[in-house]
Amino acid sequence: MRDWEAIVEQHLSGLALEPAERSEMIAELAGHLAETCEGLRKQGMTEEEAVRLTLLQVEDWQKLSRLIQTTRTKENAMTNRVKQLWLPSLVTLVLSMGLLALIQIFGPKPWLFGWNGRSRWPFVAPALMVYVPWLLSLPLIGGMGAYLSNRAGGSRRAVLSSVVFPVLPYLAFFVLALPVVVILNDHIAHNIMPRALFVGLFAWVLAPGAALLGGGWPAQFLLSRLLVSRRIVGG
Amino acid sequence: MIGPGIKRGTAELAVLSVLEEGPLHGYELARRIEQQTKGALRFTLAALYPMLYRMEQRGWIRGAWEISESGRRKRCYRLTPTGKKKLSPLRKEWSELFSALRRLTKVSHA
Repeated sequence: MRDWEAIVEQHLSGLALEPAERSEMIAELAGHLAETCEGLRKQGMTEEEAVRLTLLQVEDWQKLSRLIQTTRTKENAMTNRVKQLWLPSLVTLVLSMGLLALIQIFGPKPWLFGWNGRSRWPFVAPALMVYVPWLLSLPLIGGMGAYLSNRAGGSRRAVLSSVVFPVLPYLAFFVLALPVVVILNDHIAHNIMPRALFVGLFAWVLAPGAALLGGGWPAQFLLSRLLVSRRIVGG
Repeated sequence: MIGPGIKRGTAELAVLSVLEEGPLHGYELARRIEQQTKGALRFTLAALYPMLYRMEQRGWIRGAWEISESGRRKRCYRLTPTGKKKLSPLRKEWSELFSALRRLTKVSHA
């Protein structure tokens, strides 16, 4: 009786998987080979011939090892990226944007800050518009993003990216789109643009980003401490 | 004999179709496919398991260890609801392809 597990183990020694997953896989493949060999023996083949034909099931063990490895890591990486980054990011983005829309429609009026200079108008462009209830809710949304990403095993970078994800579209707008619009559109007063850029960045990127991090960073810190203590308790 | 390219494309459909009839472990699954296709589709271990693991990762099938009647531990695969949903459009796609090829070869022979 052949020790098929030992044979598979020897051939797949380079397979870098979690020990439990690896041993289950080896047991499964060995079981398949054992049954193939038994089937051939039942057809009347000699032990030697059956073993020889059974081993032909795998012409290239290295290729098999590589295929299994690729399958596991690629699919895992895909799934993990969705769970650790894209899903939490989408949740924070939808919650943040949804809440802002609701506050704009039903909430209190925003706080307005601006420069009046020598103008007779109370404010001249650019005015800083702050939705206070929205800003106050952002730490909670950031904390939620951090929790979702951390729970899925996200790295610190994935967690923090999920937390600040809602401000990234604004950042892209102010850094990329706004300068292009200014260059292309002659009707916009260019002298207010540096100030407008600063005001926009502050109101829609820096302040909300800080608020999101204000909830997300402590959540990440606490959750990672919790994970470490669980690992220590679990050995 | 069907070429390797077509075999690769039909392999997932074959596995899903056979598992639709009931859960099976890898060896039995390969044997069943070979029997039902009269030897046209044959899976070696090297071809079968990477595909099964890939399909499992995608959530189309689920493997679980069970004890067989002979007392052996075997990993049985069963179709998941996602796999069932996947099967229907796959069948349609392949059916359309084969119909198109059939029409095409008739035209070529005419």
